[in-house]
Amino acid sequence: MEIITAIISAAMVSIFVQNAIFERAFGSNVTIYASRKESHISGFTIGITAMTTVASAITYFLDSALLPLEFGWLLMPVIYVAIISILYISALLFLWRLFPKVFARVKKYAHLAIFNCTVIGALFLNSNYGSDIWSYIGYGLGTGIGFFLACLLLNIAHEKLDSDKIPKAFRGYPIMLVYIGVISLAFYALVGYTVDF
Amino acid sequence: MSGKKTYPICFDGLFRQNIVLTSGLVTAPIIVAATTAERAAVLSLSFFMISYLTILICRVIPRRLVYTVRIILYALVASVVFIPTALLLELLFPETAMSVMLYIEIIVVNSLVLAKTESRFYLIPFSSMAIDSLVYIAGYAIVAFAVGIIRELLTYGTLFGFYVGSAIMPAAKSPFFGFFLVGLFAAACRAYYNRRRERETAEPELIRKEAEE
Repeated sequence: MEIITAIISAAMVSIFVQNAIFERAFGSNVTIYASRKESHISGFTIGITAMTTVASAITYFLDSALLPLEFGWLLMPVIYVAIISILYISALLFLWRLFPKVFARVKKYAHLAIFNCTVIGALFLNSNYGSDIWSYIGYGLGTGIGFFLACLLLNIAHEKLDSDKIPKAFRGYPIMLVYIGVISLAFYALVGYTVDF
Repeated sequence: MSGKKTYPICFDGLFRQNIVLTSGLVTAPIIVAATTAERAAVLSLSFFMISYLTILICRVIPRRLVYTVRIILYALVASVVFIPTALLLELLFPETAMSVMLYIEIIVVNSLVLAKTESRFYLIPFSSMAIDSLVYIAGYAIVAFAVGIIRELLTYGTLFGFYVGSAIMPAAKSPFFGFFLVGLFAAACRAYYNRRRERETAEPELIRKEAEE
């Protein structure tokens, strides 16, 4: 029961208090890109959630070894990229062997779902705030769910924000940013404070 | 006669194809962390060092390698380049660099390195690429400084730490204001280039009509 509570509370923090997109702006461009098509949302969410959850579990053990070292933090990007790369190749091989149709569909944008700020940012945040392996896993899982929430909110508004009612200069990317800003403001009010980097 | 194709220096990366304002790439450091001019300087310097060195080094990676492997190598090289960059920044700006370190760390997977290299930089000769990528990085720095200066003035009433006036909007340092500001800059940039394009297409039409009359 304690384990489930630890995972859920870390996930809730990651979804609402430190949402990767609305509070940290990690992977805003990927979110905007993924939110355009419903099929992209599910693909990106599965990719990001699987990656952040599995990678978080692995990095817990490496963080325990690296963080006590004086210059351990300097090696963290190399190690995190190496872990993500191994998981990326493993996932591609898994799909290629067992689900060739899915592989053919996702191979064009798989790298976008894996090599982005949302995934690597979640690992760095975990190293700062995570305490035990369950909070690491919960935070990773919550990052993926938070990404899904952001995509969903953007997808709902996408049609209206791309319509003729919006001034030409704002249509598309600029108004999307303003819209994310409005939601970010709502999260700011919900939490009552903002993260201090 | 030499059969070599020449590539003129293109300044589109500054505004017309600015990676933040038009492509929406590498926005996180600017939206969240560029809250003062000094932070903007740290972010610009780190972005320059990590991205530029990685782009130059990764040029030697053979194109015959599959894309999946190339992209991994780009990210690994960037994360190795991060080490001297972080040490230098810690030496030059000890406090500021550490306060935005999270946003420097995530630059190792930035889209200028992972995407723009494949779609643009590695399709042109080395010398042109060296200048072209520098222009794109300068475009990033311009936006970072513009956002950092405005937010510092509004939040703290200072500029590079020097008192200018009273702080009129302390919430300007929050991420939501960063989203608003970058969104407004993107719209302004687009409006300017839309108007310029309309004028450029209208002028020959006007000349043709005058000539006919």
